[in-house]
This record gives sequence, structure tokens and C-alpha cells, in this order.
Amino acid sequence: MQLRIARTLRWGVGIACALAAVGGCIYLVQHGAEPMKDYSHFSYGALPEGFENYTTLRGILRGVSGFTAYGWIQLGVLALLLTPVLRVLLSLVDFLRQRDWLYAAITAAVLAVIILNSVAP
Amino acid sequence: MRRDFRIFATAMTVLSFTLILLLGAYCAGLLGSLTGLGGGVVVIPLLTLLFGVDFHYAVGAALVSSIATSSGSGSAYVREGITNVRLGMFLEIATTIGAVTGAFVAVWLNSSVIAVLFGLVLLLTAAMQQRRKSDHDGVVGSETARRLRLFGTWPQRDGTLKPYELRNVGGGFGVMYVAGILSGILGIGSGVLKVIAMDGLMKVPFKVSTTTSNFMMGVTACASAVVYVQRGNIEPGIACPVLIGVLFGALTGARLLKRLDVRLLRQVFCVVIVLVAINMIYNGIKGNF
Repeated sequence: MQLRIARTLRWGVGIACALAAVGGCIYLVQHGAEPMKDYSHFSYGALPEGFENYTTLRGILRGVSGFTAYGWIQLGVLALLLTPVLRVLLSLVDFLRQRDWLYAAITAAVLAVIILNSVAP
Repeated sequence: MRRDFRIFATAMTVLSFTLILLLGAYCAGLLGSLTGLGGGVVVIPLLTLLFGVDFHYAVGAALVSSIATSSGSGSAYVREGITNVRLGMFLEIATTIGAVTGAFVAVWLNSSVIAVLFGLVLLLTAAMQQRRKSDHDGVVGSETARRLRLFGTWPQRDGTLKPYELRNVGGGFGVMYVAGILSGILGIGSGVLKVIAMDGLMKVPFKVSTTTSNFMMGVTACASAVVYVQRGNIEPGIACPVLIGVLFGALTGARLLKRLDVRLLRQVFCVVIVLVAINMIYNGIKGNF
């Protein structure tokens, strides 16, 4: 089981890295010669133009099918975020198989906090 | 708003920004895994002090690098059986709820407050690095810990397994909640508070508390990361070089750690952390961010 967790982590991280690398290449080919963007100011109310392309799942997936740099990079970020969630999920399966109900419940609670926070607006 | 303290102030192209950040992130991942502090501690000053990037973007990048370090170097420890998975999972209830709280609070904080908070966490980290690392022999565990079956064993140099007990579950859980809040605001693993909780309060052997803390870092960061993506704090142009750089740095670090004596490096790094912390607090109080 521990081995499976370690393998999942390595795969998740590898996939995330590959996706981000694809996006990074597109990004550099298309925009490499442009001057650096101004990252010196951030405000929650006024995000840069086209922000929905990297902040919403729909925007990211549209970007992936359209081979845009932001879509692929952000898909890599999402893959990276899923790796720990998968690890918790595998632990849950492990505790259930051991009939360790207390820790199955604890693991399920951790999973619930993560998922609820992610889907709630 | 003055930003005259940043070093790369002149106009750069996207290409040179990406490549320099990639190199910097690699060093961050390397240092983060060698010192056990995680990549975010280096990524935040790199972005804010050197590139003049807004703190809110830097926190998003730190979250990405926390997950990358945790997943990149964590798999080795789980296999060796040092990590106490039960303890980690139990305390993750506190850290994930804390992280959600922190992400909620972060909206109301401006960059200067975040900078001062980050500086204070760095100072605390440097102070804790000076502590003697104890294995807490002969700790008598508490009844709560026994009921929760949190006791474990850890491998010794000679290959045998040594059992350990622990106590003060409530206190540890409370400090973990605070660690989660800080992680939700700053994006860093706040490993220092996790070690205070496990090593200082619960009397877990040092090696077990550091590896368990690393195990928890990714899951904690994950709890607030989706919110940060939705708010636009995680900007692809910054996230991409950070993700790739930190990941390879952490992998190199995990490999080097097996045969390198890092005591001197940790001492030097400690001094650097104090200097960065002073810089952050000074500029934060003066409102330069």
C-alpha cells in the first residue's frame, strides 16, 4: 500500500510537470520575445483581461482543446493539486480494507473539507 | 508605491523572466528539501524582493511549490516507514480546516500585513532551527492518544523498530489549526509550527515529526489552493517555471540528502532567513509592498 502511494505521487507529479512543460513551450514560442508582464499589482476586484481562461475549469479546458499556453499550464497545476487528494483517497481505501473504521472516518473528513472547499463558491 | 528595493527592475522579456525564475525555483526546491523548510520559503522572497511581484501572486506560487516539494520528496519517506500516517491524517483535520479559514481571511489582508506575517514566521523558523533535536525517550503517552491509536514505531540505525508514545493531543491539534491558517494565508508549509506541535507539545521523535510534517504539507496546501486558482492568484506565467523548477530541485535535494552532511548549509541558511525576515518586516511596516 505504501508503495502504491509512493508510485501515485511520482506519477501525479510527473504528469503535472509534463503538462506544464507543454504549456510553457507554447507560452515561450508565442510570447517569449514580448516584454515581461506587470505583476507588481494585484487586486481581487480587477483581474487582468482574460482571467477566466485560467481561473475557471471551463476556461482552462477550452484553453487545452485550443492549445493555448495558459490552458495547458493550468491543467498541469490542477494535476499537481489532485496528487495529494489522490493520496488521501488511497489512504481511505487502505483504512477501509483494514477495517479501521475510526481512521476511515477521519480520512473521509479530511477529504470532505478539501472537496467542499473546492466546489463551494 | 515605491519598489526601489527590487533588483531586476528594468524591462525584461518574457523569455528571460521565465528562465531566471526557472533557475531560481530550482534552487528554491533544492534548498527547501535539503533544509526541510519547503520551497515556498525561498520562492516568496525571490518573487517579491527580486522581481517586484505582488505578494498575492507570490502566495499562489508558494502554494504550488509547497505541493511540489511535498509530493516530490515525500514519497521516499513514506516508503521507509518513518512517517506516522495515522498521526498525519488525524492532524490534517485541523490543518485543512485552518487552511480554509486562512484562505478566507487572506482576502482582507493587504500585501504589507502579509509581508510582516511572513517575516515573523521566518524569524520563528530560524529560532527553532537552533533547538536541540530530541528523540524524547521514555515518554508516557496520554489516554486520548492511546484511544486514537497514535503510538508508532520508527526504524533505528541498526534496523530494529523502536516504539514511541505521545501526549497532549489537544494542544497539538490547536497549534496545527494555527499552522493551517498561516499556510492558507502565506502559501508556505509553515513546517515550523507543525514541528512545534509534534516535537514540542506531543513529544514525537524529531525525525518522525519532520517527515510527518512534510507528508501533511501537500494536503494542507491543497485545501486552500483551489480557492486561490479561482481568485486568480495562481498566474500561469509564474506558476509554470515555479512548478517545474521546484519539482526538479526537490528531487535533486532528496537524492543529495542521503549522502550529504547539511549541518553547515542549515546554519548558513538560518542567517539568510533572518536577513530576509528583517527585510520583509521593515518594508512591510513602511508599506513598501
